Amino acid sequence: MTKPLIEMQNVHLSLGQGAARVHILKGISLQIGRSEAVGLTGPSGSGKSTLLMAMAGLERADSGLVRVDGQDLGAMGEDALAAFRGKRIGIVFQSFHLIPTMTALENAALPLELAGAPNAFARAREDLNAVGLGARLSHYPGQLSGGEQQRVALARALVPRPALLVADEPTGNLDETTGRAIIDLMFALRAERGATLVLVTHDAALAARCDRTIRLRSGEIELPAPLRAGAAA
Amino acid sequence: MSLALIARLALRSLRGGFRGFGIFFACIALGVATVSGVGSLASAISDGLAREGRTILGGDVSFSVSQRELGEAETAFMQASGALSSVAVFRSMARTGADGSTLVEIKAVDPAWPSSGRARLDTKAELDAPAVQALLAPQSGTDGALIDRQLALRLGLKPGDTVTIGERGLSVRAILDSEPDKLAGGVAFGPRLLMTQDALRRSGLLQPGSLVRWSYRLALGTGGQTVSDAQVAAFIARANAAFPEAGWEARTRDTISPQFGRSIARLAQFLSLVGLTALAAGGAGVASAVGAHVARKRADIATLKALGAPASTVFAGLAAEVGLLAFIGAVPGLLLGAVLPYGLSALLGAALPFPFAAAIYPRALATGLALGLVIALLFALPALGRAHDVPVSGLFRYQVAPLRVRLRLRYRIMIGAVASALLAIIWLSAADRTLALVFLGSVAGIFIVLRLAAVALMALARRLPHPRNATLRLALASIHRPGALTASVFVSLGLSLSLLTALVLVDSSLRQQFSDSLPRQSPSFFFLDIPARDAGSFEAWLKSQSAEARIEQVALMRGRVMEVNGTRAEDVQVKENVAWVLEGDRGITTAQTLPEGSSLTAGAWWAADYDGPPLVSLDSGIAEGLRLKVGDTITVNVMGRNIKAGIANLRKVNWRSMGINFVLVFSPSSFKGAPHSNLASLAYPAGFDAAREEALLKDMAKAWPGITAVRVKDTFDALSDLFSQIAVAVRAASAVVVAAAVLALAGALAAGQETRNRDAVVLKVLGAGRGRILRIFVTEYAALGGLAGLFGLGAGALAAWAVCRYVMEIDFAFAALPVLAMTLAAIAAMIALGLATSWRILGRKPASYLRAA
Repeated sequence: MTKPLIEMQNVHLSLGQGAARVHILKGISLQIGRSEAVGLTGPSGSGKSTLLMAMAGLERADSGLVRVDGQDLGAMGEDALAAFRGKRIGIVFQSFHLIPTMTALENAALPLELAGAPNAFARAREDLNAVGLGARLSHYPGQLSGGEQQRVALARALVPRPALLVADEPTGNLDETTGRAIIDLMFALRAERGATLVLVTHDAALAARCDRTIRLRSGEIELPAPLRAGAAA
Repeated sequence: MSLALIARLALRSLRGGFRGFGIFFACIALGVATVSGVGSLASAISDGLAREGRTILGGDVSFSVSQRELGEAETAFMQASGALSSVAVFRSMARTGADGSTLVEIKAVDPAWPSSGRARLDTKAELDAPAVQALLAPQSGTDGALIDRQLALRLGLKPGDTVTIGERGLSVRAILDSEPDKLAGGVAFGPRLLMTQDALRRSGLLQPGSLVRWSYRLALGTGGQTVSDAQVAAFIARANAAFPEAGWEARTRDTISPQFGRSIARLAQFLSLVGLTALAAGGAGVASAVGAHVARKRADIATLKALGAPASTVFAGLAAEVGLLAFIGAVPGLLLGAVLPYGLSALLGAALPFPFAAAIYPRALATGLALGLVIALLFALPALGRAHDVPVSGLFRYQVAPLRVRLRLRYRIMIGAVASALLAIIWLSAADRTLALVFLGSVAGIFIVLRLAAVALMALARRLPHPRNATLRLALASIHRPGALTASVFVSLGLSLSLLTALVLVDSSLRQQFSDSLPRQSPSFFFLDIPARDAGSFEAWLKSQSAEARIEQVALMRGRVMEVNGTRAEDVQVKENVAWVLEGDRGITTAQTLPEGSSLTAGAWWAADYDGPPLVSLDSGIAEGLRLKVGDTITVNVMGRNIKAGIANLRKVNWRSMGINFVLVFSPSSFKGAPHSNLASLAYPAGFDAAREEALLKDMAKAWPGITAVRVKDTFDALSDLFSQIAVAVRAASAVVVAAAVLALAGALAAGQETRNRDAVVLKVLGAGRGRILRIFVTEYAALGGLAGLFGLGAGALAAWAVCRYVMEIDFAFAALPVLAMTLAAIAAMIALGLATSWRILGRKPASYLRAA
C-alpha cells in the first residue's frame, strides 16, 4: 500500500484558556490516502472544523501525530508551516475570505506570489479560466456574485497545485444551484489534478459524493454502524 | 521575504481607501507641521541674522568696552585696517520741565552713524548718516535728540519740545521708529534717546567710572570690498595680541548677539518640544487608528496566513502600509511647515523686530518628517505586532473577543529600537539636551502614570460590587470590559489636561510672585551712576527724604572675565546655563564682609581689613557651572586692566531677595585707585509705595540730575508685560497639543465606535429605549472623563509644583478656579465628543444594522 497523504495518530486538541479551555479533539487517529475524497460530517460542535484545521496546520495538536505529505506538522516552525501550507495545501472557506482590496486575478495569484513562484499571474489566469472567470480577472470581490467569489477562492486554493485541498462547508453561503455548480467544479478539478480532498459538510448528498465519510461526535470519530454493532457484541 | 512583495501587499491594501484614517492623518499632520514649522521659523531668523549681520553690527567686527573709551593707540590700530565708527550706550534720567522724569537708554552716535543700513522715523522717512547728523546738529546752541514713541508717550514729548539729560536740554527733533543696529545692543531697560557724542560730552554725564558702554565698529577693507570670515577672525586675533589688556568684547557679523541667538534657539527648542508633545499626544490617536485598522483587517490577515504568508511578511506588509499612510499624513504637515516662514513674512513683514529670511529649510522639514514617521511607527507597533498572532482559525469561527495576546519579544525589541531612534533624533537636534531629556522624561512619566492609573481603575471597576441601577452597572462594566476606552481616554485626555494644568499653575505661581511676594521683599529703587565723591552726601540726602527706608550702597564697576584658571574665557568649556557670565561685561563690586542674604558654602570670607592680593567670592551655582572651586583663579578686566584674583570662597546668593547681589564680589583693595561710581538701593519697610516713589523721583530729578534712578516697579511691570507675551505664546503653542489630544480622544472614541454601536443595537433589541442608552453612554463618558481629568489635574499640579520648586525656585500657588474650570470643560468635551460619535446609532433601527452586520 502506498503511504497515506494524511496520517493522524491519537491527536488531542484543546482550545481556550483557563476555565474556558475546551477539549475538542479527543484521540483522533485516521489515515487518508492520496487522491482520496473524504467528507467530515457530524453535529455542530463535534470538532469537524477543528480537525480540518489540524490537518491544514492551522491549529497545533496538544499531543499526537499529524503527518501530511510526509511532513510532521507538529515538528515544523510557524514560518515553515506557513510556507508548507502555501505550497502543498489549498483551503476553501465557507465565507470565501477573498481580500476585498485585490482583484480576482491578484487574489488567485496570491499564494504563488507569497511562495515566490515565477509566472504567478499567468498561472492564476489559467486557473481562473478553468473556473470560468476568464472575463472577470480585474473585478474586485465586491463586484462579484457569491458563486463567482467562491470560484475565485477555488482557483486560489488550486493554483499552487496542492497535494491536499481542504474545504469548510464550501456551499454553506451559496444557493443550491450555485452550490451544486461549485461542487461539480471542485470535484472535477480535484480529479483532474489528483489532489486529496477533505471537506466538512452538513449536506448528506455532498458527503455521499466523497469516496469516504468520517463522522465525528464530541471530538471522537464515530465508528460506522456495522462496526459499532460489532464492537457492542 | 521580498521587498517588492511587501510593497505590493501594502499598496493593494491601500486600495481600500483611507476609511478610519482621518484622525490618524490629522494627528501626524499637526505634529509634523508644528515641528517643521518651528524649525523653519528658527532657521529663517538665524539666516536673517546672518544675512543682515553686517548691518546689525554696524560693521564686520565690533569691540565693546565699558567705562572707558579706546585709547589713541587702539584707535589708530583700528583705523589702519578700515573705517571706524563708534556708539556709546548708557542709562540715564530724561526730564521735562513739568516734573516728569524717566529712565532712558541713551545712544550717543558719531557722525558715521548709521554706518550701514538706515534709521527710520515714524513718518517712514529713512535716514542715512548725513541726514541723522543734520537732525541732531545743534540749532541755536541746543543739541538735537531723536526719541522713540514710548519715551514721547511717557513724558508727553513731541518734536520741538525740550528734554533734559544730565545738565543740558536737548531739542526733540523727530520720533524714531527703528535703528538698523538695535539688535546688537541687547536688552534695553528704558526707551531710546539718540543724541550725538558731542552732545553727550557737553551733558556732563561722562564722568570717570560712569557706566557707559562704548562700541567701536569697524568695516574692514577699503573701498567697500567685503572681507572673508577668516580675515575678520585674523584681525580680531591681531587686535587681541596687540592689546592683551584691552578687555574688550569682540563680536563679528556672525556672532552679533549670542544671547539673542541662544534665546531664539531655546524658544525654538521649547516650541519643538511642544510640537513633539503634540505628536506624542497625537500618537494615542495613531495607536487607536492602527488598532482599529488591524481589527478590521483581521480576516485579510488570517487569509494571507492561510495562503502561506509567514507572520513576518504580514507584519511587514502592514507596517509598510502604515508607513505609507503616515507619509501621506505628513505631507500636508510638511507643506504647512514649509510655507510658515512665508506666511509670517507676508503677514507681519516689516513689523518683525528682527531680520527674517523666509525660505524653504530642508533640514527643518526633514526633522519634522523623521519625527512624524518615527512617532507614528512607535505608536503603531504594538497593534502591528499583535497582527502577528491573528489566528487563521478565526476564518472558521465567529470571533467576538478581541485579540489579547502578549506582544512577542521581537516587537518589544523593535519598539525599544524605534524609541531609541526617536531619542537619538531629539538628542541630535536639541539645542539644550538636558531640557529636552527632562521634558521627554516628564512626558513619558505622565504617560506611564496615566497608563498605570487606567489599568488600576479597570481592575478596581472589575472588583466593585455590581450597582443595582442597570444604567450604572452597564456604565461601570464598560470601564473595564475588553476593548474598553479607559486606557486611550486616560492617555489622551489626561495628557492634555496635565499639560494645561501645569502651564496654568506655573503661570499663576509666577504672577503671584510678581504681584504679591516680590514687591514686599524688593527695594523700590536702584540708583546708578552715583559719583564716588558724592556717595556720602547722596546717602544722607536719601535718609533725609525717608528716614525709615533701608539704604544699601556699594561700589559698582564693570568687569569682563578674561581668563578662568589661566585659560582664555572663550576657550573654557562651561555649562550652557552659565555661559552668559563669560560673555560681555558684568557688574562687579568689592565688600569687606559677606553681603546680606548670602551664605558661604565653601572657603572663608576675608578679614575686614584684608589688604593682600586680590581675592574673589563667587556665586556657588555659577562656580559649579564654570567648574571652579576655592583656590582657582579668575582674571577680570576692569577699565583696561587685567586683575587676577584667587577664589577665596563660594557663596549661595538668594537672588529672590532682589537686594544688591553680584556674581563676583572682590576683596576691598582689589581695584585700588580705579575710578568707579556707586550703586545704591532703597527699600521702604512696607514694600512698594507708589506715592512716595513718585515724590522721591521728582525731588531727585532736581537735586541729583546726574544720578539714574531705576524704579523696580517699572522693571517688574516691564517683566510682567514680557511674561504676559511669553505666556500668550506658550498658550498658543499648547493649544496645538490640546488640538492633538482632542484629535486623539476623538480617535479613541471613533475606534471604539463599532463596539458601542453593536452594544446599542443589542440593547435596543433587548428593549432599552433611546433615553436609557443615552444615559448609559453619558454616565460612562462622564465617569471616564471625570477620572481621567482628575488624574490629569493631579499629574499637572505635581509637575507644576516641581517646576516652581526646583527649576524656577518660586513659591507654588494653586489657582483652583481656572484649573477646576478646565477640568470640567474637559469632562464636558469628553461627553460631547463621545455622544457625537454615538449619536447616529441612537436614531438607527436595529434591523438595518443587524442586516448590514
